[in-house]
Amino acid sequence: MDGSQGTPGSREAQGTARGETARLEPYYGGSGSGVGAEGQDGPPPAVRVRGLWKRFGEQAAVAGIDLEVPTGRFVGLVGPNGAGKTTTLSMVTGLLRPDDGAVQIVGRDVWTDPVGVKSRIGVLPEGLRLFERLTGRELLVYTGRLRGLPVTEVDRRAGQLLEVLDLSGAQHKLVVDYSTGMRKKIGLAAALLHNPEVLFLDEPFEGVDPVSAQVIRGVLERYTATGGTVVFSSHVMELVESLCDWVAVMAGGRIVASGPLAEVRGAAPTLQDAFLSLVGADRRAGEDLDWLGGGDR
Amino acid sequence: MTAAGSLTGAGEPAGRAPSVVPVFIRLKLSVLRNGLRQSRGRTVGWAIGVAFSMLYALGLGAGMIALRGNDYAPAAAVTLSLVLGLGWAVMPLFFFGGDDTLDPTRLTMLPLRPRPLITALLASSLIGVGPLFTVLVSTGAVVAVAHSTSAAVVAVVAVALLLLTCVALSRAVAAANTRLLTSRRGRDLALLSGLVVAVGAQLVNLGVNALSSHHGLHRMTSLTAVLRWIPPAPAVDAVRSASHGAYGLMAAQLACDVVFLAVVLVWWHRSLFRLMVSPDASTIQSGPEGGEGRVPRSRRAGGSGDSAAAAGRGERPAGPAGLLPRRLVAGRTAPVMERQFRYLWRDPRSRATLATGLAIGLLLPLVAVVQHGTIYQCLWAGGLLGMQMYNQFGMDSSAFWIVSATLATRKDAALELRGRALTLALIAVPYITVVTVGAALLLGRTEALPETLGLSLAFLGSLIGTGAYASVRFPYAVPQDNPFGNAAPGQGGLVALNVFGGTLTGAAMSLPVLALTVTLHLTGHHALLWTVLPFGAVYGLAVAALALRLTAPKLLDRLPEILAVVART
Repeated sequence: MDGSQGTPGSREAQGTARGETARLEPYYGGSGSGVGAEGQDGPPPAVRVRGLWKRFGEQAAVAGIDLEVPTGRFVGLVGPNGAGKTTTLSMVTGLLRPDDGAVQIVGRDVWTDPVGVKSRIGVLPEGLRLFERLTGRELLVYTGRLRGLPVTEVDRRAGQLLEVLDLSGAQHKLVVDYSTGMRKKIGLAAALLHNPEVLFLDEPFEGVDPVSAQVIRGVLERYTATGGTVVFSSHVMELVESLCDWVAVMAGGRIVASGPLAEVRGAAPTLQDAFLSLVGADRRAGEDLDWLGGGDR
Repeated sequence: MTAAGSLTGAGEPAGRAPSVVPVFIRLKLSVLRNGLRQSRGRTVGWAIGVAFSMLYALGLGAGMIALRGNDYAPAAAVTLSLVLGLGWAVMPLFFFGGDDTLDPTRLTMLPLRPRPLITALLASSLIGVGPLFTVLVSTGAVVAVAHSTSAAVVAVVAVALLLLTCVALSRAVAAANTRLLTSRRGRDLALLSGLVVAVGAQLVNLGVNALSSHHGLHRMTSLTAVLRWIPPAPAVDAVRSASHGAYGLMAAQLACDVVFLAVVLVWWHRSLFRLMVSPDASTIQSGPEGGEGRVPRSRRAGGSGDSAAAAGRGERPAGPAGLLPRRLVAGRTAPVMERQFRYLWRDPRSRATLATGLAIGLLLPLVAVVQHGTIYQCLWAGGLLGMQMYNQFGMDSSAFWIVSATLATRKDAALELRGRALTLALIAVPYITVVTVGAALLLGRTEALPETLGLSLAFLGSLIGTGAYASVRFPYAVPQDNPFGNAAPGQGGLVALNVFGGTLTGAAMSLPVLALTVTLHLTGHHALLWTVLPFGAVYGLAVAALALRLTAPKLLDRLPEILAVVART
């Protein structure tokens, strides 16, 4: 149970601070003082992260992240496996308690203002289950009503989302019998149901067939076109390059580059090349496998 | 296997290929060893389990030997061998997930023909605790009926034949049901059938107790005339025939078993062949017609009807939550209750837990009625159902993130807990009432009804209250892949804390009601004992309500911590 508990001091801090409106100083003390001091003139950024840390035992999964994501963008969080993308998104969305650091969503602190934050974000985590013994429609209605939406409104929105996401035919099937693509789509529908301002999607295209991927893409593009912010993680560079206008590159628990797509790509021909040089990956793989293909078996 | 190797092998007859038997035996040993390597606790648990089953086998074998010469020895030997055979036949249905080597689909990609595969699988299946157990027990059984040298020789053959038949039967059943057992529905079904067997065994136990007179044994002996012709029993009974010098009968019985073994092997061969040449079940499942009909038509209609009706009536919650006053199920309480009820019906784990509580909660008062015991056995019903409030969020597994992501205020937290408590209460209160009233009527102790019911309700309320607290403070992960484990490895201490700590605290919290009952009894105010019922009911309600209120802020504070624990599966 260690590690999941957070430090005793931090829980005290939470206890005293709950219910107050967004505080600007970091929740966990330490680095990142003065969060929110800058940027008071314009609209607050969609996501603002300062000095975010998370250790699992000896290993730091997230080692001091500072990030500011502008509103209304299609944001890609890219990085190799194990870079800390999922850990970061879990902490940003309030599902995982950070060891240190502060997170604000549209100017509200995730840990001191859960009411303000939870109603403004939609989440599609990776590696966590849904309530899979509900049918697709029941899951949407359940989630919507947990969020306090009126029954008739939940019904209307659920019907439309199921229709748009091409799930109407499977709406009375248990989610446990859904394919990966259908799961991602029903998860996306649940995340969109309350019309959030910022949408966090962890690997929304992982294991999804091209048809479902296109449907998801269409819905997300429509969502950002009307002012919503999408933050999604992926390690498929071509996808990120074609979808996003803003990217953050993670490696080894840190943000190694962030900004508009063109800026991060720089002189490199593709985002893939820029990414590989940023994370310091070796492009020459497999030169010792001289026995592979042709010749002796 | 290199291309060159297979080329040289092609010149020889097909049967000359190197045997795969040693490979499979090594594989089985590696699987056993690696299973033990996972954790120290597991190794210790395994060793204790093996020690106990060996002791049990030795005891059973020794018991059979002690029966040697007794009139009932042949009947006992035949029954025992049948029980062994039945055990082996049903075992794969319950423990399929436990043994990877049982799943032939894992071997489909290997270049193996069914026949050598069967030999190899059969040989590797003979290694393990189960076969050793079978050998020990069946040796006892044949010793009990072997009374001559020729019988001793037949006995050796009989034990070998019995073991082979059991193992082959078990493998054949597993192979024939692989499709079912690896599918989601199959696993759901296996979980529930395990429960049916467990409860059924208790009922059989009750029946055996009731029948365990000389008359009952006599009836058993006459039944043996039929039973001894059901394989694998003939092999064991052949030993008795040999002892009597009835060699014709002996030969017929041994032949009966050999034929049965052959039939089983053919069945196994066919199932394996079918499995190895047809596509994997996972591919079939994702096909277009895969999920059609999974949800019964009635529910399909009911689902849309529910929502349409709810829309028509305004915000009136559907389902059992609709039975309660609207203020009680306001906010997220109603959706939480609806989901809980759906899970109790559809989630095999929730369903099995509830069904166990209901069944044992009924069984123990029933035992009291049969054996003219005490009416206080009815307290078990309240206790077992109240315990279901424990580890609420562990049952959610990592889907708890949905609860966490939508729970932002103390009020949300209170309503979430209330929904779960009300779901349980809506089942438990009527059930306890029916069981207690029934037991009181059958035992002719209607005068003790109010106090028993009052105590039950107080106990239930206390358990719901402490269960809510424990769910928030001491959650533990429930493994999702192993339907028989109730906690993921390394959490034994937490489970014990929940069960024992919870029961003790719950019992301690219902002390005031118990004290009232005892006082009224001791002071001779029997006419006032009815007051225990209203007092217990109000007390239970108050304790539960207070505990939920005090626990709600803790739930809100501990959301990420609970998620971190329950998602660890």
